[in-house]
Amino acid sequence: MPINYLILLSRQGKVRLAKWFTTLSPKEKAKIIKDVSQLVLARRTRMCNFLEYKGAEVLKDALKLETNTLPLDSKIVYRRYASLFFIAGCNSTDNELITLEIVHRYVEQMDKYYGNVCELDIIFNFQKAYFILDELLLAGEMQESSKKNVLRVISAQDTIEDTEVDEEVTKIM
Amino acid sequence: MATSAASNFLSRGTSGNNSNMRGLVQFIADLRNARARELEEKRINKELANIRQKFKDGSLSGYHKKKYVCKLLYIYILGWNVDFGHLEAVNLISANKYSEKQIGYLAMTLFLHEQHELLHLVVNSIRKDLTDHNELFNCLALHAIANVGSREMGEALSGEVHRLLISPTSKSFVKKKAALTLLRLYRKHPDIVQPQWAERIISLMDDADMGVALSVTSLVMALAQDNPEQYKGSYVKAASRMKRILVDEEYASDYLYYKVPYTHVRDLIRESLQKILNLALEMPKNVQQNNAQNAVLFEAINLIIHLDTETALMKQISSRLGKFIQSRETNVRYLGLEAMTHLAARAETLDPIKQHQSIIIGSLKDRDISVRRKGLDLLYSMCDSTNAQPIVGELLHYLQNADFAIREEMVLKIAILTEKYATDIQWYVDISLRLIAMAGDHVSDEVWHRVIQIVTNNEQLQIYAAQNILQYVKADHCHETLVKIGGYLLGEFGHLIAEDKGCSPIEQFLALQSKLQGCSSSTRAIILSSFIKFVNLFPEIKPRLMYVFQAYSHTLDSELQQRACEYLALASLPNDDLLRTVCDEMPPFPERQSALLSRLHQKHGKTSDKRTWVVGGKDAQAGEKDLSLAMNPGLKRAQSSNGITPANGATNGGSNGTNGQHNGSSDLAGLDMLDSGPAEPKMLKAPNLASAAHLSPDWEVGYNKLLLKAEGILYEDGQIQVGVRSEYRGEMACIILYFSNKAPTAVSSFTTTLDLDAVEKENLTWEVKGLPESTIAQGLQSQQMIMFSAHNVFDKSPTIRISYLAGALQALTLKLPITIHKFMDPAELTADDFFKRWNQIGGAPREEQRVFGVKGNDREFNDSFIRKTVDGFRWGILDGVDKNSKNFVGASVLHIGGGRKFGCLLRLEPNYGKQMLRLTIRATDETVPPVLIKIMVDRLQIGQSTQPEEFIPPSQREISDAFGNVLVL
Repeated sequence: MPINYLILLSRQGKVRLAKWFTTLSPKEKAKIIKDVSQLVLARRTRMCNFLEYKGAEVLKDALKLETNTLPLDSKIVYRRYASLFFIAGCNSTDNELITLEIVHRYVEQMDKYYGNVCELDIIFNFQKAYFILDELLLAGEMQESSKKNVLRVISAQDTIEDTEVDEEVTKIM
Repeated sequence: MATSAASNFLSRGTSGNNSNMRGLVQFIADLRNARARELEEKRINKELANIRQKFKDGSLSGYHKKKYVCKLLYIYILGWNVDFGHLEAVNLISANKYSEKQIGYLAMTLFLHEQHELLHLVVNSIRKDLTDHNELFNCLALHAIANVGSREMGEALSGEVHRLLISPTSKSFVKKKAALTLLRLYRKHPDIVQPQWAERIISLMDDADMGVALSVTSLVMALAQDNPEQYKGSYVKAASRMKRILVDEEYASDYLYYKVPYTHVRDLIRESLQKILNLALEMPKNVQQNNAQNAVLFEAINLIIHLDTETALMKQISSRLGKFIQSRETNVRYLGLEAMTHLAARAETLDPIKQHQSIIIGSLKDRDISVRRKGLDLLYSMCDSTNAQPIVGELLHYLQNADFAIREEMVLKIAILTEKYATDIQWYVDISLRLIAMAGDHVSDEVWHRVIQIVTNNEQLQIYAAQNILQYVKADHCHETLVKIGGYLLGEFGHLIAEDKGCSPIEQFLALQSKLQGCSSSTRAIILSSFIKFVNLFPEIKPRLMYVFQAYSHTLDSELQQRACEYLALASLPNDDLLRTVCDEMPPFPERQSALLSRLHQKHGKTSDKRTWVVGGKDAQAGEKDLSLAMNPGLKRAQSSNGITPANGATNGGSNGTNGQHNGSSDLAGLDMLDSGPAEPKMLKAPNLASAAHLSPDWEVGYNKLLLKAEGILYEDGQIQVGVRSEYRGEMACIILYFSNKAPTAVSSFTTTLDLDAVEKENLTWEVKGLPESTIAQGLQSQQMIMFSAHNVFDKSPTIRISYLAGALQALTLKLPITIHKFMDPAELTADDFFKRWNQIGGAPREEQRVFGVKGNDREFNDSFIRKTVDGFRWGILDGVDKNSKNFVGASVLHIGGGRKFGCLLRLEPNYGKQMLRLTIRATDETVPPVLIKIMVDRLQIGQSTQPEEFIPPSQREISDAFGNVLVL
């Protein structure tokens, strides 16, 4: 049940974070982001959270590719949190609700870390958002479903970073 | 939580992280303030120039490097091209500071793709971090490998990743990352995961840490889908782990175990499913609200549908799904339709689904395209000959307003359904032509090719089709695809309707000619071909046709020009023999797989994750092999075969060999088929460690002892003792294995796997009645009961693989003392009876005789040894039956599946002087003696220990001397 990619998109269509769990060329990534943005931004409220997007087919036609790097048949599971769309691409056989829950877990995790997360947190601390995601998902698979565990690891990282910054400061002084 | 998270998304300003880089924050804030895109671009270009300069100057501190790389990353995420600074980012990876390293790795995963040239530079840095004793560094390296996943990296580093996964000193959070990294590498390059890792990886599913168990299960699931045999040990593990989780009711995160089908585990799963279902049904309110619970519920429903089509569960499900598809929640509607599609593909009867037909048709009008699409899938799956007409009608109706995105798929599906369930040939023609007229732009070539194939192959369709298509072509607005069909059909079958009113040759000609101007080159080519056929069929309008050819012999299109010139020449030949031959009626197309289905499945394609079932149409289930469309009898080829085989060009129909025409007709005949696709990458065949070929040393001692006893110790070493107790009743055997932990600590992940040579699988079957505990504390014991039943005489004994973790993975393979003689019962016979039966059975093939001596030195035969052995082999020793009192005579009854009983008789003549035995076994069935004699000889040859005594193998002569005095009966 791997997630193929996760994109955080603002309502204005700006990418806030993009993480790819399958290997794709820069061209392919750009094409996916463009298509997916269009699809998702056009959705109205109270529609369901799932969309079909034949990524590979589109890419093959658009870029004249010989090989299929994406699983042929894929769908999009997305959810809007205030001004941000969280968009996950997964295979058609995957359980949509679980994917939705994984996305939600990511939001909860960031909420726990930032304390009432908002889009700005993700903009200004984009690297942290990536690090948190790394702890939650690896290779597109759920890695750790315990919020506490993830938080512990991220806090440990912060502590190390802080000490290193302190050292830096002392050196400069 | 969600709502609070959501509501706060906009409400706050910059939140500070004290370790943040001030320059970076400033830069991001600047960009946010740049309202117009030009301003943003200006700011970015300024920054890029600045960073480029800084990097060129060199001698930046780690902190500054990190800051600039971060800025580049931000620019990159915004979607701008960043074509420098990659090297600086890569250099950060080898930094000693964690925060710098972390940014370095982040930049690497974002900037570098699989084929990037800088990638080979980082492999060594990653290796260094993998072997570092700092686990955080290990994690970063694992992330990097999992993100990039190139072959070079996989080959160079998979060994290290595997080491981190199985090392007892690895922390849980490293292990789970290692497992998923390995999964990523496996998905990309299956040969990177070595077959011999299987057992060790499976054992990790018992890890106490849920995160590790979850990650490893993901890995095992991918591996087991490709190598079900090699990873079969994982099924039991998954099931028992699932049971543990279910008892504690923490099942949400581990629903995935359900996916793995395994006959033995099924009952267990079914119970669990019932429980899940009940839980979900008891709390209907929660079903509406709780995504996690619904996720499990739908997965469970899919599994139930997959496992069984007849249980009471099915009824519950279909009524449940009926409610789901009317739900006000869009997600639930969507998923309900999806599950119902799955049900339609699996269920034997569509009746429960048909009850909901009107609701399903209603879902085509849902305002969400995702739901509409699912509704379309379901309608396609639930269609059969009884409801095809309303459904197709409904689909056609909807097609007019359907979104462009799904029109082509709809057209395909309508075309397939029409062909598949047509009971009325006119209906087929009507619908197909209407379909093309309505949605011409979305009709792929396969659809109209197929229409022509079917019309050509069905004589009774031809007139009707020709009449109809003519009406379409006569109309002012006619889709080009219809013109193509018209051109072809009128050329072939126009003469059949020439007598009808409004269908005279000249009218047919005018209809086609009026369309010539507005059509593409390929359509014109088809029309020209029809005209040459008209020349043959309707000589009366030849001058007008010749005029058209003449006009086109000057056209600029070389293909059309060539065609026109050739046709002109052909029509102007002095006699029309050649013309008639070339334009002979097309032979029926060979029955072939419908290209429509291939087309449809091409769209579905293969997903990387191979599930045990396909959620999709019935034919998706059947797999590509069985795609060939079962044509309705109504549409079966009814063409009387053409008596005369045209001399040449017959297969090309109207072709006279010009390239274009040739292509045209071969396209029709050969409709490009979907290639069967590249062969799946297969892993190297792994050794089956549980098989008899991998027996552990020292297995034989206990086995030999237990051949003659019902209970005892099968194996023992410093860590473990395996005891066996067995009971035989008729053809059934009950074996209980006792595993005692003698190691100084608890052993975990205790697993047993039974195996039997493939040739014996039919003869001896078993059912595992329980599993040993996965963890056995020090000094304690666990047991496992297995029921065997013998269906036939078997020759090889089953083996068992026992593996457990005691620090490292320990494993042994033992042969179980289950042999054919264990299923015998001693019998009593009088001397008369014995010899009567002995003679009745007679010699070969129901007799087997062997003469042999002791194997090895220091061993001998003696009376008590032989008596004990023969008795142990479950013979009733009949004393005083043989005239020679030294000889042994025995009788027994062998019980085999199906209540069969075979009488077995034995005669053993020892010569203690020569230390030779002659063993004769007769049985009422010829399969028994060879097997029985082999085990007995093997066992008897061991003999009994004695003082050193030289043993010389007997010569043939010695043997005959030795037995010279024995009367052979």
